[in-house]
Order: sequence, then C-alpha cells, then structure tokens
Amino acid sequence: MIKLQNVEKVYRTSSVETLALNNINLTVNKGEFVSIMGPSGCGKSTLLNIMGLLDEPSQGHIEIDGRRVESYQDQKLARLRNEKLGFIFQSFHLINDLSVLDNVEIPLLYRNTSAKERRELAREALEKVGLSNRMKHFPKQLSGGQKQRVAIARAIVGRPEIILADEPTGNLDSVMGNEILAILQKLNADGATIIMVTHDDSMARQTHRLIRLFDGTQVQ
Amino acid sequence: MLRHFFTLIWNKRKTHALLIVEIWASFLVLFGVLTFLLSNLRNYREPIGFSYEQVWSMELTNNQDTTDVPAKVESILRRIRAYPEVESASRMSSNTPFTMNNMNNSVSYQNASTLAEFYRTDESLYRTLDITMQKGRWFGPQDRSARYTPLVINQKLQEKLFPGENPIGKTIKKDDTHFWKVVGVVETFKGKGEYMNNTPAIFEPLTEKDWDMSILIKTRPGTDATFEANLVKDVLAMVRNWGAEVTYLTESRKTQHNLTLVPVIIFGIISTFLLINVGLGLFGVLNLNIARRRGEIGLRRAMGATERSISLQFLGEIWVLASFSILLGLLFAVQFPLLHVFDMDAGIYLLAMAVAVVVIYLIVTLCAWYPSRQASLIAPAVALHED
Repeated sequence: MIKLQNVEKVYRTSSVETLALNNINLTVNKGEFVSIMGPSGCGKSTLLNIMGLLDEPSQGHIEIDGRRVESYQDQKLARLRNEKLGFIFQSFHLINDLSVLDNVEIPLLYRNTSAKERRELAREALEKVGLSNRMKHFPKQLSGGQKQRVAIARAIVGRPEIILADEPTGNLDSVMGNEILAILQKLNADGATIIMVTHDDSMARQTHRLIRLFDGTQVQ
Repeated sequence: MLRHFFTLIWNKRKTHALLIVEIWASFLVLFGVLTFLLSNLRNYREPIGFSYEQVWSMELTNNQDTTDVPAKVESILRRIRAYPEVESASRMSSNTPFTMNNMNNSVSYQNASTLAEFYRTDESLYRTLDITMQKGRWFGPQDRSARYTPLVINQKLQEKLFPGENPIGKTIKKDDTHFWKVVGVVETFKGKGEYMNNTPAIFEPLTEKDWDMSILIKTRPGTDATFEANLVKDVLAMVRNWGAEVTYLTESRKTQHNLTLVPVIIFGIISTFLLINVGLGLFGVLNLNIARRRGEIGLRRAMGATERSISLQFLGEIWVLASFSILLGLLFAVQFPLLHVFDMDAGIYLLAMAVAVVVIYLIVTLCAWYPSRQASLIAPAVALHED
C-alpha cells in the first residue's frame, strides 16, 4: 500500500546540513497496523510526514497503491491526501472557533460533497468514536481524550484507507490513551491501514509490526 | 465552503468586531465622498442653460441716494445699451449668475408645491444670456398691460408643478388680487454654475418700483478693459455718489467652481488617506492572523486543501468580513434615498453605494492577496510541527 525506497531527508540551512532520514526502505501493506518508535529527534515524524505526502524526500521514491508520487503536483497530492489518508496529531489540531461537528467536516470541504451529506458523514464519524452527544460543543469545552476522539472522527470522516497517527496518545493519560488505541484497533479491524508513531512500548506491542528508528536510520 | 467561511467568521465575530467596524466606517466615508463627487459630476454634465462668455455684471450701489432710484437705474441701462460695444444689457435681481445670493420662495399650483429660485429681470435677459426657449416665449411688450404677471419657468419647475401638462397659459395664484401666467419654458437655468443642482426657477418681470441694481452686459467680441473703465466712469458721472463695480461672469464662474471643488478635493484627499490607512491596517491584521493560524493552515493542507484553496480561504474570509461590514453600511446608506436626504436623486445614492461596494471589495482583495498567497506557501509539515 505504501512503499518507501531509499528515502533520504536532509534539512539544509545556509550553514548546517542535518540528515533526518537515511536510506529508509519499508513497505506497509493494506490492513496492517504498524508502529514507529525511536528516541526524540530520530526522524519518526519526518518519516510520517513523508508517508503522508506533507513533506518531500530529498532522495528516494514513494509509492502509494503502486503509483510513484514524487512527480505529483500540488493539486494531485492534495487530492490523494484528502481521499486516501487520514491524519491524527498529538496536539489534536482542532480549530477552536469551530464546533465539534464543523471540525469533523473539514476534510469533506475539499471534496464535492453537499452540506447535507457532510453533516451526515460527520455525525456518523462522531458516533463511531462515541461523541455523538458533543457535536455542538467547541474544542475548549472538551477533555484531552474527547479532543483526540474528535481528531479521529475527522481523520476517518472521508473514509481513508490509511490513517497516519503522530503520537496520538502522547498528550493523554494511560486510561485515555488505551481508549484511543482501542478505537484505532477497531478502525484497523474494520479495514483501515494504520501507521502510528509512539513513544510508548506497551502501545507499540499491541500493533502488528514495529519499526524502530535511530538517528534517521531504520534499525528494526 | 461559503457556509464554512460564514460559520468561522461568525464564531470569531468578537475578534473581528473592530475590523468590521473599520471596514464599515470606510464604506460610509467612501459612500459620502462618492455621493458628493457623483452629484457634482452629474450636475456638471447637465447644461447650464445660458451663455456667460463676454458677459459682465455691473453692481450699482446707490449709497445715501434714495430718490428715483428705479428711474436712475433704467436711464443707466439705456445708456449702457447705447454703446456700440454692447450687444445686449439687462437688469436683474441681485442673484445674478455665479453669485452667492439667493431669492427663493415656495410656489403652488393646485395640489403641487415646490421651492423655486426667483429671478426678477427684464424683457431682454434671454438675449443677454442667450437662453434658449423650450416652449412659449420670453415676456415682452405685449404683457405690459396685461392683468396678470407673465412668468417664464424652467423645465424642472414644469415637472414639479405641471407634471405631464403643457404649462403655457396656466395661471398661478400669487396673492388674493394677483395672478402669474406662464408664458414660456426654458430648459435649464443653473444660476450658481455647472456644479449646481438643476432646481426649479422662475423669471418674473421687474416693475417700475423695483430697485434691483444689477445689470448684465453682453459685450461684443474683442471688448476689453479700456471699455470697462470708460463705462464705469460714464455711469458714475450720471449718478453722483453712486458706486459701480464690474465683474466678468467667466471670473465669477471660476470662483464659484473653486467654492464647490475645494471641499470635494479636501474630502477626497482625507478619504484617500483613510482608505490607505485601512488598507495598511488590514494588511497587518491579515499577516498577524496568518502567523497565528499556521497550525490551521498545516492541518487544512493535511486534510486535502491545495495551495490555491488556502489562498482562497483567506481571501474568502476577508470577503465575508467585508460583506458583513458592507451590509451594515448599506443599512445606513439606504436611508438616504428612502428619506430623500438633501433632496438628491436616488440614482446618485444608489450609484455611490454600488461604487463604494466595488471599491471596498477591491481594497480588501488587494490587501488580502499577498498575505493569502504567503499563507498558501507555508509548508504543511513545518506548520504542523510549529503549532
């Protein structure tokens, strides 16, 4: 489903060159639940951003569903992100001025979906994460766990095949973290491919496969 | 998407309140200045209704002399007409063209009533000022013994008092014993110049008792200041201790134009500065807004927004904000034509509103374009990482 070949990422400033990823080769198959681990600054988020088409590799190739995407222009990449990928972030990235329902609708705004259909799909997604009673609330009125569930609803509302989660439990206590993991496992069981960056060994152990990074290099 | 913008702006209404007020105030100032400008432009394009080239205005002052004043003025007029340099001369009330003097009164016919400018003059004014008759004739010797007072009106007065009717021969009650009878209609007569609103006007004949001491003199081409000096000298020789001052209507017209245009220019400069300030303010606010919303930009890109849609989002938001402000502004502005403020044509107000709307949208688009473009170029991974 996602294939990375000889991927390298170098961050350059006028005086410093930092190698964030070095010769990464990996394949994530359809329906897998993969976790990425490693110490801070080892390139986990960079790898996730490259797999999520939010960043470009300095070298190497990325394939999604067998198609190489390096040459894709902004519009094609945006469509691919919108239709194929769902993102969950550690800091939730909810828009505080929008209600829970409006936040969940965001990915559908970039498709030809009617307002009515958007509402229905967003309600469905919120029901899946158990937040159908908080639709009219604003993010500031929610707990951390509820915010992350809203973020998950937003990630799945467009029914993407791949969900990329960057430390989704990083800002939550263990009870909330386990709840979120359970939701992700349920989504995976329903057919979604999930790639999760985590610091938590116990969480990583509950996924199908673990990828370890160290100083930008894949060590496992 | 538009609904999404409205929701977003509505939910941020407290944050945006000052911005909305700023755009609203700019709209109102622009509306005011444009109304002023457009009404002057519309007036300027309308014919003035008379010719002022080669026409001089002589203002006589009798000082302490109160004996036979009308007869003395008439003899001065006859003397002036006798010069070969003079094509035509007429006596007139003090509201001669391009002066600040006014003589207006209300006039009624059946159920219609209007305020009109009254010009007391003689039988030759239409020749002196080259006024073209639209209907009927100017008053003349045939009216001298009539039991009515002959009137010449302008088309504006005809529209107000005699809509859809031919006013010639119609009588208007002056008082319990006197009647006015309309004998002619002129197209326009804008005594205060091109920038004057075309208002109802009435010309009535001077009587033997009237003291009006303004004389309009149409000179032949090539007549110069030497003749003016001789003329004044001759006139003052006829009437001891009187004063006589000659002004050229072309000069009076320039003065009148300056009186109209200077405030327009001042208001124009002030409002331009105001709009530039609003533009710079908007530019700053939008830049700050984008800096604060980098995380949201990254998120939207991750959710499938293209560079163009990010750019359009920020432009769309400012358009929505401007629309709120303009709507509020229109609520105020529309009262002017509805309440007939300043007795101005509704068309002028509507045109000023339309132009103000376009200019405001143009300004906000210009100010938002660059920050919006910058927002669209923010790398999503960087924006998400920073937030």
